[in-house]
Amino acid sequence: MSRFTGVWATFEYLDEFSNAIRAVKNKGVVPTVLSPCPRHEIDNAMGNPETRLPYISLVFGALGCLIGFSFPAWTASDWVLPVSEKAIVAIPPFAVIGFELTILFAALFTLLGVIGLATWDALKNPLPKALKRYVRFQRDRFGIVIPCDLRHTKDYENLLISHGAEEVYIENE
Amino acid sequence: MSKSNLTYGKINDDMLAMLETPHPSYYLLLLGFLTALGLFVISIAIQVDVGMGYSGINHPIGWGFYITNFVFWIGIGHAGTLISAVFYLTRAPWRTAIYRSAEAMTVFAVMTAGLFPILHTGRPWLGFWLIPYPNQRMLWINFKSPLAWDVFAVTTYMTVSILFFVMGLVPDLAILRDEATRRGQKLRALIFTPFAMAWRGTNHQWLHYMRGYLIFAALATPLVFSVHSIVSWDFAVSSIPGWHTTIFAPYFVSGAIFSGLAMVMTVLIPVRVVFNLEAYITNHVIQSVCKVILFTSCIVGYAYGIEFFMAYYSGSPFERSLFYYRPFGAMVGWNLLGTHEITFPQIAFWLMIFCNVIAPLPLWRWKIRNNVICVWIICGLINVGMWFERFNIVGSSLQHEFLPSTWSSYWPTVIETGITIGSFGFFFTMFTIFVKTLPPMAIMELKEAIQPPIKGGHHE
Repeated sequence: MSRFTGVWATFEYLDEFSNAIRAVKNKGVVPTVLSPCPRHEIDNAMGNPETRLPYISLVFGALGCLIGFSFPAWTASDWVLPVSEKAIVAIPPFAVIGFELTILFAALFTLLGVIGLATWDALKNPLPKALKRYVRFQRDRFGIVIPCDLRHTKDYENLLISHGAEEVYIENE
Repeated sequence: MSKSNLTYGKINDDMLAMLETPHPSYYLLLLGFLTALGLFVISIAIQVDVGMGYSGINHPIGWGFYITNFVFWIGIGHAGTLISAVFYLTRAPWRTAIYRSAEAMTVFAVMTAGLFPILHTGRPWLGFWLIPYPNQRMLWINFKSPLAWDVFAVTTYMTVSILFFVMGLVPDLAILRDEATRRGQKLRALIFTPFAMAWRGTNHQWLHYMRGYLIFAALATPLVFSVHSIVSWDFAVSSIPGWHTTIFAPYFVSGAIFSGLAMVMTVLIPVRVVFNLEAYITNHVIQSVCKVILFTSCIVGYAYGIEFFMAYYSGSPFERSLFYYRPFGAMVGWNLLGTHEITFPQIAFWLMIFCNVIAPLPLWRWKIRNNVICVWIICGLINVGMWFERFNIVGSSLQHEFLPSTWSSYWPTVIETGITIGSFGFFFTMFTIFVKTLPPMAIMELKEAIQPPIKGGHHE
């Protein structure tokens, strides 16, 4: 697990928090931010980032659809059981299986995608250990984490305080 | 939701207060449901031990209470996905306070429903035969069979419902973990830590989570409409009078939404009273649900009517005969004193009409929709009516097929009745444990819906 060096701070108010994010981003650093619930103000301040998750859902949904149609078609062709003049490989009844497997595969891999992408981002953007012990981010506080060299920590501390930070911590793990 | 006095911290405190040590009346209620669950277990044990001869099912009436219960409970499950997915996509803000409980209901209802086909097979220890796999000669199941579709539909629906429910819970479990830590409850914090899956509420986590939630909602929306459509095709694809009709899919889906929302109100109105949740489950929320119930009541009422018209207009004597049989019983000479035997489908039919078409009519009045006791009673009647609607479809057609020589009757046995009543015990026991174990409302979404903490000016 990567070690963290930098600054982190807590905020009580959303407007001050959003302004602080913009100020940090203007300095060329992309912070990690924490909030009790998703807010579009935070997304706007972060520049409305996108996720690759829809591609994962699309690819695995398409795979489910392919399996849902091709597998019943293969089983019907492998051991042919004619019933009157009905088609052996009949698309309408297989559409139900195709549809269900599309949804099933897309849903399963969407969930796995959320877990995988969030884990990948967590590894790329480590959080300070002390922050993990701070329990009010799930309650009523907003948090910002700025990875930086020790020589820049004072600048960021001043910037965050000037934007209304409640508490500011400097970490060097 | 009443937003005036709510803050992020207060929402946490209110929701966590619901999980504190319960009032003794809670245990009394739980005991009642556990008793019904006991009845369920004993009845199933007798049924399995003695065999299907101990049920009222006979030839040609192969589908009785068990398939009725299966269709009923699958329908109950629909409200959860409708509220959590469809109303999420349509941005109905009143869903926030009730969707978590409705989702839990979906999971429990589908679990209850899933027991019945296995029980109905008569040899539940061979229930794995329902799973599509080839026999020793590598002959696969017939994927063109509606019963195979049903297995795919119900298992997919159950899997997606559970995943959707669990996914929605993760941020709230992190709240439980951190609040337990904050309050010095080390054991609770330890229990919730693995379930919170390292959730911290970072922008990365919210980004993937919210997009994932949206995709889940988009996937669950067609699924919710497909599941009961596919269940309806179990009937409609056959050629039995009363079943072989194209309106079954929308008829079943609207009936499922109707019964599911009624069950949501049946369950949540007592929860609102017991936990003082008037600030969250407001009268506006109840009114909104009632409007959807009214709308779906109109659809099922229309379906009941149009079925009779189609039977008349088809010119088919078999259809016409069945649709006479449902309300009036066998065609016998009528006399004033009446020696007319009352059949179970007749009882089911008239209860269905009363509970599903007539009883909801008072909901057109604002005053009735605003009165939670009236709403609760009406929704209870709808639950009864919808169960009998399922029986009306399942039972009556098989009693009155093409050949008069095959006409027969069906009355349930004590064991079938015990299993049916007991299934409610199974469902309500799980729900009662749920409301004291996990947050019955989505804390994260409640916070999203209120005014955020702003020092100056307005939020964007």
